[in-house]
Amino acid sequence: MTRRSIALSRRTFLKGAGAALALPWLEAMLPQRLAAASTNPHPIRLAALFMPNGVREDQWTPTGQGSKFALSPILKPLEAFKNDILVPTNLWNQGSDYGDGHYVKTSGFLTCTTINKSLGYDLNSNGISMDQIAARSIAQKTPLPSLELAIDPVTIGVDTNVGYTRVYGSHIAWNKPTRPLAREINPRLVFERLFRINNPSSTNTISDSLLLDRVLADAKQLRRRVGASDKARIDDYLESVRALERRIEQTSQSWGPSWSPRGEISPESKPERRPDEHPERVRLMLDMIALAFQTDSTRVCTFMFGNAVSNTNFSFLEGVKGGHHSLSHHERKEENLTQYQRIGQWHIEQYSYLLNKLKNFKEGESTVLDNSMILFGSGLRDGNKHSPHNLPLVLAGRAGGRINTGQHLVYDKDTPLSNLYCSILDAFGASVERFADSTGKLKGILS
Amino acid sequence: MPPEEADIPALDERSNFLNWVESSLQKAACQSGPHPGPAVLRRLNRAEYSASVRDLLDIHFDAGEALPADGSGGEGFDNATETLFISPIHAEKYMDAARVAIEYAFADTRSLRRFLVAEPDEKTPPEVAARRVIEAFLPRAFRRSIRESEILEYLALFHAAYEADPSFTVAIRLTLQTVLVSPKFLFIAEEPNFDVKPHKVTDHELASRLSYFLWGSLPDDALLEAANEGNLSDPTILQEQFKRMLGKQNSRKVRDFSQNFVEQWLGTRALGREFKPDKSIRGYDSELEGGMKYEPVFFFNEILTKNGSLLDLIKADYTYANRRLARHYRIKGEFREQPKRVELTDENRRGGLLSMAAVLAVSSYPHRTSPVLRGKWILETILGDPPPPPPPNVPELQESESGVSSESLRERLELHRQDTACAQCHDRIDPLGFGLENYGVLGRWRDKYEGHPVDARGALPDGTTFSGPAELKLALLGRKDQFVRHLTKKMLGYALGRGLTYYDYCAVNSIVDKLRANDYRSHNLLFGIIQSVPFRFKAGIAPDEAEHATTLNQDESIHD
Repeated sequence: MTRRSIALSRRTFLKGAGAALALPWLEAMLPQRLAAASTNPHPIRLAALFMPNGVREDQWTPTGQGSKFALSPILKPLEAFKNDILVPTNLWNQGSDYGDGHYVKTSGFLTCTTINKSLGYDLNSNGISMDQIAARSIAQKTPLPSLELAIDPVTIGVDTNVGYTRVYGSHIAWNKPTRPLAREINPRLVFERLFRINNPSSTNTISDSLLLDRVLADAKQLRRRVGASDKARIDDYLESVRALERRIEQTSQSWGPSWSPRGEISPESKPERRPDEHPERVRLMLDMIALAFQTDSTRVCTFMFGNAVSNTNFSFLEGVKGGHHSLSHHERKEENLTQYQRIGQWHIEQYSYLLNKLKNFKEGESTVLDNSMILFGSGLRDGNKHSPHNLPLVLAGRAGGRINTGQHLVYDKDTPLSNLYCSILDAFGASVERFADSTGKLKGILS
Repeated sequence: MPPEEADIPALDERSNFLNWVESSLQKAACQSGPHPGPAVLRRLNRAEYSASVRDLLDIHFDAGEALPADGSGGEGFDNATETLFISPIHAEKYMDAARVAIEYAFADTRSLRRFLVAEPDEKTPPEVAARRVIEAFLPRAFRRSIRESEILEYLALFHAAYEADPSFTVAIRLTLQTVLVSPKFLFIAEEPNFDVKPHKVTDHELASRLSYFLWGSLPDDALLEAANEGNLSDPTILQEQFKRMLGKQNSRKVRDFSQNFVEQWLGTRALGREFKPDKSIRGYDSELEGGMKYEPVFFFNEILTKNGSLLDLIKADYTYANRRLARHYRIKGEFREQPKRVELTDENRRGGLLSMAAVLAVSSYPHRTSPVLRGKWILETILGDPPPPPPPNVPELQESESGVSSESLRERLELHRQDTACAQCHDRIDPLGFGLENYGVLGRWRDKYEGHPVDARGALPDGTTFSGPAELKLALLGRKDQFVRHLTKKMLGYALGRGLTYYDYCAVNSIVDKLRANDYRSHNLLFGIIQSVPFRFKAGIAPDEAEHATTLNQDESIHD
């Protein structure tokens, strides 16, 4: 039998959730200044790449410290980027040290909060993800405030076993505590979207604005009729329509665009469809991140290699037989550990593929990678233990010179992950006083 | 929390206590009078959007294909109000989808007849023709009567577009495209009830509740007409409409409903998505996947439309198979790529959901079967009694991934259950799953597994023992009320598009009583839901919130 608290009033509850927005700690998370005074003429980009199911822990951590370090077997594929990366050791996500083994660690990965245990009604991450804090600080500067990409569709159903909706395990980006951001899983659709933004047609502007005006007016009429708590739903739609309106104006040729692409998109590079094979899917999505950053269509992106508990079959790798989640429950058996390690390494190879692409895009004297921060990580360390201590993380790119890369930094045990996010936001130009449970910025990262 | 020095009470002690608390709360809730949920305000999910656009424009085209997929909430369905979020990307996606759908509809003369009810000619000026089109289209799209002011608003849009480009087609296309992006179309929006007492939903609201429940799409002309006449809630008319909705002329829409419900209830939507068999599992191809996927859908659909017994879901002497699945099951006869109904004999060792390939696959690992996963599947899906989560930060289960024989796996699981902490739950889970060990990953029958004869002895959580799937089904039939109650909860949650509250359990209990008295015939479930308090009523908004609503209304300008 499913146990529930008595849902006497959903409305009281929703109101409570709404009130959370006004809490002072959230205020503290809003950027203090829009952009740091910087001599770097190029935009700073931020991407977070999420890998489910953790890593083989004894093969992850580099040996040595500071700039004199050697990459671990899993991180080996980053050899060519050793000077472009930074590996922080001993960070943990305290907020996710509750509840279940996966959902909490996924939805809370970028919020550093404890999500509500919920099948739906009171779904709440209790925070905003750090990518969205960054996106908000530059919202008007690019056509897309942020881009949310993934490989798996939203996992179906609710997990009555642990009491969480699987919506949690399928999202890392939250732009309101009650709103996870929908992800795009089809590279062709992402391409078409980017292409349209970069090549807007001038003829449709009038009809588009007529349509949007009517839709906005209808939304306001509807909003007037419904009860207070439902107004928030209509507001979400209003916000979504207004964002589109703003973008059309921003890129419209007829009114003189306030934004112009930094690169060109060739229509020939359009992916035909969503491929069947996992490696191809991943590659195409990483291509889309590179394209979006190169053209400056957006400066913020999140990507999920897989949803929480993903059991993607990795038998396309030599020596691997079985699903990712199953193998992450390795029971310390060497034959499982070897395969688990190989899967982790494969993810790093893909990460390295993206870094390479970004490094090949020249931007003046620098490269797009130099002007980016590309975070790779998982919400738990060892898949057999589900623990959010000493998380596997790599940060690549110098953020236009703000980040001291080429280091392995070992922090005190259980240093908050949110401190890393504070540093990242600072380097992005969206400095915050504090973020979730942060206690300051990470030492030795910012120049 | 027990005092620190006290032992934590045993699982059944805790579970008995919780059952007692739960049933007391339910009893108290039922005695306190009708408590429906609030007036509905929910976005159409992707499937409902596609079906609504399809029926509105009469096109055979999936307009919602490029929309973001929706997650699930409440009772486990993707139509749950609480998880139908709106992301910044939605408006853009809806605008694109509407443009493509309208383009498609204007290219098809048969579709055009459905909604382009007038065109300008010598006697009809463009604005008169536009008015006729709008007057016919808006009530269908918004699923209610339309105010004159709304007609004028869309007419004004038509005028503005016509002024910019004096082409009737261009302007009317934009007008209709706008309707498809309007929140009045995209949201099911019932009038809120500002009274303290629950109110009946209006006839138009009832029409939408019925059509999105039984069809996953908007009301057709007959439903809207009945609502316009104000007699849809008349019990005789309602019964007639119910029969008509499940009738042959609507079979495609009803099958959509069966598919949406069954695939999410059973988890078989994971087939080909979250679940893909390993290469070492032979014989998997797209035709087999199709046959597996549609078997439970067609089977369930027959039970629903023919008023069959819900107990057939546990044990039946018929199923649906296509050519490939029939071969897989070793059923003889003529089959095609489309599934067809087939009578089963004992030798087939099939019948009922538990022996369907799709179910057996999604409760397996990609490369081998798991009594644990299957036991958990039965507890969750059939008995509605999911095991509690494993203790935090403990490996879920020491179950090897490498090929171990069924024999030694049973030994290992038994060893595992010697740990009392594990045994509390796994004593309930594992023995159930062993009853299905005669079925491989894809549900193929096996007498031997890795050289050993299959040992399919097991037990229900209450201790009832069985051996093999046939006896397992009989044992589960001994718990038929528990099963039917769980199915009723699931179906009610789906019908309401939200998670259930304690108050809804009054409706569940009375529907289960009715089912028991009527041989578990499926129409008692569906019509019982349609007649229930939560389906027919909407709650009043709490006074403080109503007040809050007016305050917000007064300074609405700040939101403009």
